[in-house]
Amino acid sequence: MNMQEGIMPVEAGAMVRDDLSVMVAGQGGDGSVTVIAFLARALSQRGLYLFRANNIVSRIKGGHAASALRGSAMRRGCIGDRIDILVAFDEEAIEKEGALLADDGVVIYDVSREPIPENFLPAGVRVIEVPFGRLSVRDLRRDLFKNCFAFGVLSRILGLSDEEALGCLKHRFRRLSAELLQPNISALEHGFSFADDLGFKIGHGLFSLPQLEKEDRIMISGNEATAFGFLAAGGRFFAGYPITPATDIMDWLKKNFPRVGGLAMQAEDELAAINLAIGASLAGARAMTASSGPGVALMQESVGHCGSAEIPLVIVDCQRAGPSTGMPTKTGQGDIGMLTQGSNGDFPRIVLSPGSAEECFEYGVLATNLSQVAQCPVYIALDDMCQFTYTVPVFDLDSVSIDKGKRPGAAEIAALEEYRRYALTEDGISPRAIPGQPGGMNLVTGNERNEWGQVSADPENRIRMVDKRARKIESIRHRLPKALEWGDKNAEIGIICTGMIGDVLAEACELLAEQGLKLKCHRLRTLWPVLDGSVAFARSCKRVYVVEFNSGAQMARLLKGAGAPADNMKSILQYDGVPMRTVQLIEAILEMEQQ
Amino acid sequence: MMTETYSPGQPIWCAGCGHFGVQGALSYALKALNIPSHKTIILAGIGCSGTIQNNLGTYGYHAMHGRVLPTAIGTALANPDLTVVAAGGDGDGYAIGAGHFVHTLKRNPSLVYIVMNNGIYGLTKGQDSPTKQGPEWAPEEEALDAIALGLSIQSSTFLARGFTGAPEQLDQLIIKALEHAHSGRGFAFIEVMSPCVTYNDTYPNWDAMVYDVANIAGYDAGDRAAAFAACLRLKEKNHIPTGIIYQGEHPTFESALLKNSTRPLARVDADTSGYRRQMDDILSACRV
Repeated sequence: MNMQEGIMPVEAGAMVRDDLSVMVAGQGGDGSVTVIAFLARALSQRGLYLFRANNIVSRIKGGHAASALRGSAMRRGCIGDRIDILVAFDEEAIEKEGALLADDGVVIYDVSREPIPENFLPAGVRVIEVPFGRLSVRDLRRDLFKNCFAFGVLSRILGLSDEEALGCLKHRFRRLSAELLQPNISALEHGFSFADDLGFKIGHGLFSLPQLEKEDRIMISGNEATAFGFLAAGGRFFAGYPITPATDIMDWLKKNFPRVGGLAMQAEDELAAINLAIGASLAGARAMTASSGPGVALMQESVGHCGSAEIPLVIVDCQRAGPSTGMPTKTGQGDIGMLTQGSNGDFPRIVLSPGSAEECFEYGVLATNLSQVAQCPVYIALDDMCQFTYTVPVFDLDSVSIDKGKRPGAAEIAALEEYRRYALTEDGISPRAIPGQPGGMNLVTGNERNEWGQVSADPENRIRMVDKRARKIESIRHRLPKALEWGDKNAEIGIICTGMIGDVLAEACELLAEQGLKLKCHRLRTLWPVLDGSVAFARSCKRVYVVEFNSGAQMARLLKGAGAPADNMKSILQYDGVPMRTVQLIEAILEMEQQ
Repeated sequence: MMTETYSPGQPIWCAGCGHFGVQGALSYALKALNIPSHKTIILAGIGCSGTIQNNLGTYGYHAMHGRVLPTAIGTALANPDLTVVAAGGDGDGYAIGAGHFVHTLKRNPSLVYIVMNNGIYGLTKGQDSPTKQGPEWAPEEEALDAIALGLSIQSSTFLARGFTGAPEQLDQLIIKALEHAHSGRGFAFIEVMSPCVTYNDTYPNWDAMVYDVANIAGYDAGDRAAAFAACLRLKEKNHIPTGIIYQGEHPTFESALLKNSTRPLARVDADTSGYRRQMDDILSACRV
């Protein structure tokens, strides 16, 4: 990371930060998201990595919304333990988010309506009161300009130049006409002059941010990255049904599929959604559906059907806090049991569990390919990552390869004496002809069937067919993503996690190492089948803590079922719906160690 | 030499079952229209009727109970070159699958749907179905009239009812339905009164009740309101209206959804190379 020339001299006393967390909170419609977007541009232009989480604190009143942005020189996939700056558009923002502030944090409070509530902020926090709303109405005639106004003050406090701030605004509003842009610029300038009055003149902020070398990066959520992976791998059919927090996938595909000739549609329910996808897959299209826990629960029969009838399908589960309706906007990893064991009977399935935006993309591709190769359902298990937004290096489209699996062409079929849809093969995978291919006529069914697809309850045939389907997983096992391991190889303590916990654990591991506690870490990226490496990892540790976001220790049970030693494994479980923070994980690990 | 595939199955139905007539008519219609087996897929639901796909030498698919329509729509959207025939019973289509039936009528996708209505769950040995007719059989529930339901949805384009006791009419109805879907006019729905001789032998009753709307002087199948009125009048006289009850025009589902697809979704297959520029554009839009 090179420091570049031309950045403003650091004001004496300004806090130099290459890891900064800012939260903007208020009522929905207050423009919190817009302020965060301006800031994202500014921090990104400084070469910092970004991590954004919306609505991270529980929603008490209908409209309370908080958005948090972390900019850091190191890549981080979670909100830091402290918020450096809180822009609060109302008193509720102070009441709900105040406790998250760092001791030397700063609050910029919109004092238009109520005085700042007392006793919600740590002692050392500096409060800056600005009547954004009132002044926006008085001087600019519209309350909505308060977001630009607030950003003007915020940018000075962050030590940004006015040109940088203006650049962010212009970038965000690049599609607005000059006429519509002007009042926003005026609001920003109001912010500057108000900052002048407060003593935050140009170059006299409370913070100072580095200028790092800029890489080519994109900003994308887990949901979007997964959908993109599917599209890049030739995915062309999607059907879904609205459900929080999976709907983004449908929306993203509806927006982007038309460019590549794909089709995303909304079904009348989840049963229709998955069966529309099955119908498209049957015809040869690469198909996917996505939902969250309650919807995926409805889809269980159909997932088993894909497993039995050998139909390729990708199913994304954006897990949320269950059971039942649970807490729809709150996160969880409580579907691990359903994804790995759900539906009736035994059938081959794969459950992938990405832990970063890049892995969401990569596994979107992999799931699509594996579904075709193994002709079975492939789940992608997401958690709050689906809603988190990250900056990451631009995805490498050249790395995407497309695997058709066994799909005989016209000449291959013509050369056969006989075509059998469910031909018994050594690897368990039978060549798949699709409707429209001459000579490939076949019967696809969820009934047990013989090689020709004709219903059969013959016991010997039954065993041959069950075993054939099971062999498919063994044939592709080597392609399944192994767990990511890091930390101190010689540590006695091992930590196992998956999904969104990985980035929290990465930071906790660093901080604990500084305190002298050595850890080795293991993040599962395939939940089913359980890979041998996870069992071996658990065996290699004196003590293993399995960290997961559910109350039933679902992943620990999977590992124990696969042979991991139960007597040295303990669970660290969180199930409050609020994304885990590093400090919480550190405390939990230390507490375990004291037992 | 042609590659051999599966041998078409022998029907598993009881002797005298109406479904033989449906299979015969479908087989006749496919041949009459010269639709090749490899370009035809028959998707069937669960129930006695859900075995018809095994018997005709086409591509066949056995759907989950009640889900044959969404599956058929997915198949038809993915490859509009196929002739897609969905088939099932009244339990499959009007009970567990009723929601999908309504939405399929709303969408008007170009495919044929044949419901073999016997008023009974035959495979599970004779429970009441949604079309079981009262008052002596299922007095607690009104029998569902799928044609009337279809007429009430403004986007329906082909609604017909046949009877296995009137095979010539049935042949023609299935031919007309296939032509309707094949020419891209939309969803062709045929309910076939197909008695279950084992658990609900309605042959004599239905034989006396069916009434071909073609026999109504001046009947216009293009007039939805008149068709509705005529059906209600016939029902009041304890008749079952048959024939092409309604045929009209409405934009099809695929014409709305596939307007950006230059080739069938199913044919994109593994060849995505032609889309690199579009993918780069999508990526660029994500830059901060």
